[in-house]
Amino acid sequence: MATTALPRPKDYDDSFFKPISLWLTTTDHKLIGIMYMVTGVLSFVLAGIFALLIRLQLAQPNLKIVEPEIYNQIISAHGVTMIFFFVTIFLTGIANYMVPIMIGARDMAFPRVNLLGFWLVPVSILLYYMGFFTGGALNAGWTGYAPLTEKAYQSTSLGVDFWALSLIVWAISGIMASTNFLTTIVALRAPGMKLTRLPLFVWAQISTSILLLIVGAPLAAAMILVEFDRQLGTQFFTTQGRPVLYQHLFWFFGHPEVYIMILPGFGMISEIIPVFARKPIFGYMTMVAALFGIVFLSMTVWAHHMFTVGMNIYVETFFMFMTMLIAVPTGIKFFNWIATTWWGSVEFTVPMKFAWGFLATFLIGGITGVYLASVPVDTQLHSSYYVVAHLHYVLFGGSVFTIFAGIYYWFPKITGRMLNRTLGEWNFWTLFIGFNGTFLIMHTLGLEGMPRRIATYANPAWATTNMIITVSSFLIAFSVLLFLINVVRSWNGGEIAGDDPWRGNTLEWATSSPPPPYNFERVPPVRSFMPLQDLHAAPNGAKPEPEPVKA
Amino acid sequence: MVGRARAAFIALALVTAALLLSSCEGSGLSPIFPTPVSPNGQDIYDTYVGISIPAIIIFVGVEIALLWVVLRYRRSRQPVGYVPPQIHGHTGLEVIWTVIPLIVVLVIAGYSFLTLQKDFQPITGEQMKVIVSGRQFGWDYKYEGTEVVVRQDGTLAEDVTPFVVPTNTLIKLQFEGTDVIHSWWVPAITGKTDAVPGYANYSWMKISQPGIWRGECAELCGAGHSAMQIIVQAMDKPAYDQWMAKQVAALHPTPSPKPSPSPSPKASTSASPSPSPSK
Repeated sequence: MATTALPRPKDYDDSFFKPISLWLTTTDHKLIGIMYMVTGVLSFVLAGIFALLIRLQLAQPNLKIVEPEIYNQIISAHGVTMIFFFVTIFLTGIANYMVPIMIGARDMAFPRVNLLGFWLVPVSILLYYMGFFTGGALNAGWTGYAPLTEKAYQSTSLGVDFWALSLIVWAISGIMASTNFLTTIVALRAPGMKLTRLPLFVWAQISTSILLLIVGAPLAAAMILVEFDRQLGTQFFTTQGRPVLYQHLFWFFGHPEVYIMILPGFGMISEIIPVFARKPIFGYMTMVAALFGIVFLSMTVWAHHMFTVGMNIYVETFFMFMTMLIAVPTGIKFFNWIATTWWGSVEFTVPMKFAWGFLATFLIGGITGVYLASVPVDTQLHSSYYVVAHLHYVLFGGSVFTIFAGIYYWFPKITGRMLNRTLGEWNFWTLFIGFNGTFLIMHTLGLEGMPRRIATYANPAWATTNMIITVSSFLIAFSVLLFLINVVRSWNGGEIAGDDPWRGNTLEWATSSPPPPYNFERVPPVRSFMPLQDLHAAPNGAKPEPEPVKA
Repeated sequence: MVGRARAAFIALALVTAALLLSSCEGSGLSPIFPTPVSPNGQDIYDTYVGISIPAIIIFVGVEIALLWVVLRYRRSRQPVGYVPPQIHGHTGLEVIWTVIPLIVVLVIAGYSFLTLQKDFQPITGEQMKVIVSGRQFGWDYKYEGTEVVVRQDGTLAEDVTPFVVPTNTLIKLQFEGTDVIHSWWVPAITGKTDAVPGYANYSWMKISQPGIWRGECAELCGAGHSAMQIIVQAMDKPAYDQWMAKQVAALHPTPSPKPSPSPSPKASTSASPSPSPSK
């Protein structure tokens, strides 16, 4: 899509190579957003290396590439880094960059809180990784179930302490960001940008922020209690205490966290599909309602992670039913996305391919979720490789594919240059094949009885399957390498994008690429949820019925 | 033609996938649980199959719709200058795809609830009870009414000591945790049950045929987690009685670590397992 209008001469510095002092002190939401995103991608690479180590260890039965104790630290670091330091952080970054522009604001409501919130993230990451230098990092999985995390079973290492502190800092950072998003969206919308005209990505960010505001504090509380147990000798979750209480607290955060990681992705897909299908989103209001349905339901389902601890069956039935209900709003979103493209003129650019890859794979994660929600079936599937497959279909097929879609879609806006399309196609197809090759047959391993988080296995029947998985996982790594090469090359010398390379619908395409520090010289009038379509329809800004501007 | 080639490629991929999935049980690629040998495992198996019916229909339907968009509505397949209709929604359609999934999940939840109610409450009227306690890293099986304890120490180097049970006997399993949380799982028998410190957790089994079934601890419990193998060996009643007699006899001459009371209760324990399974 070469809209090669020459870029206007700029009165501001839009190069990436700014003085380090500027990066350290900036309160510009765009630069902070970029820092969030770069932090996220670095975490992705790091956690990906951990994943490759896991796959090497499991490639054949009875391998001892790493000792079980080290293996447990690797799986924990993989999970924590992917969930807390990659997906959530990256999505916060892309929202930090896009939300103010999409609502026609100049910056976030609290720029300095934004700055502090971001800089708490590296602090949190460093705290977690301190564990590796103090006798061993967290080794109880990313969920860190008590009493395995208690001092009695972790005689020397401080890894659990650093994990708990890291997540407390992380939760504070997340609460700051959420407060900031909500205030920005409520208070700083451009004239005419009614709530019913918000882009769906912004609606997704509202729902995500509400979720994180509600569940961030319980996470911090759980971590503080873990620290009390370890350092002050309390007995909340110890063998003498109530270990299952920890699971309740953790999953009250942990399940909504899944939606914190996927709702912004839903938002991005809702932006991308209409643009490339050349049709408005089908059922805008139902899409918003579905988001809030998911927000509400996601806080009533946490104990479905605990169906084997021995709860009353009627309590289990409640959680089972609420969990299955989530399929309804998610289904609405799916059908609406498909309906958006029906009779459309769909251009399968790279972002659209990733969006379609997301739909094709996330569907599997959604359906296996219904199996897992059924209590009897879950007692078989729980904590097996079936769950590993399911959660990767949701988080990789869901979050990561949407993140790639978002990157390919907004990279031109952020850098002013297009990502290379050929490399992008290779990136998509290798990722799609590598991802399904890795995770589809993990379901069958779980069905046959391979538990998750085992450092090795003796069963020779699982050897071939595990080997296929390991080979495919390296295809994913290759794909990510292509992506990184593409980003670096295109950032330096990619095709000039112009302001609106995709013929977008929302306000960010009305300003230059990259946008000036003040975002807009003049915010275009907003008369629908697709303000740029209105501009294209009536070019000269000559509007038949100028709407009175309300502040 | 590009579209036809693509369709052929996709069809080929689907056939390959189907062939892969139809490969037999125990290959590492089986699309379903091992054949259950206990009725509660069978009920879980049936529930899984039941959920699969709507699941496969929805999966295939949606993937076909996704594919149809790729094949039919891509820009290169539309006439030049085609402007799509600017449809903003359709209330009737949206109600339909809210209500139909709702009905489907209601049915699945109801069906699951029936299985749950049938098999997942602590049973009474068992013919035998075993207290299973998890520890780092192994399982101890205490046969209630006897002094026999099978210690199943975790190892990957060889088969662990089997947990021996009689066939066609309703056995109540009581799970206890002694240190961290463990989870007892033998997929061919039934779902897993956590052994949590602080309270007892229950499950049951009634194995229909003699044989050996394997499982593992399913809750990360430390460095020895992957070594916590489980072997359940089911024997016919006479073979089991013989085995039990041998265990009791083995306890008799060598003083066990626990101070054993007197020979008279031992005589009664050797007698006690035989009447209960004989029912």
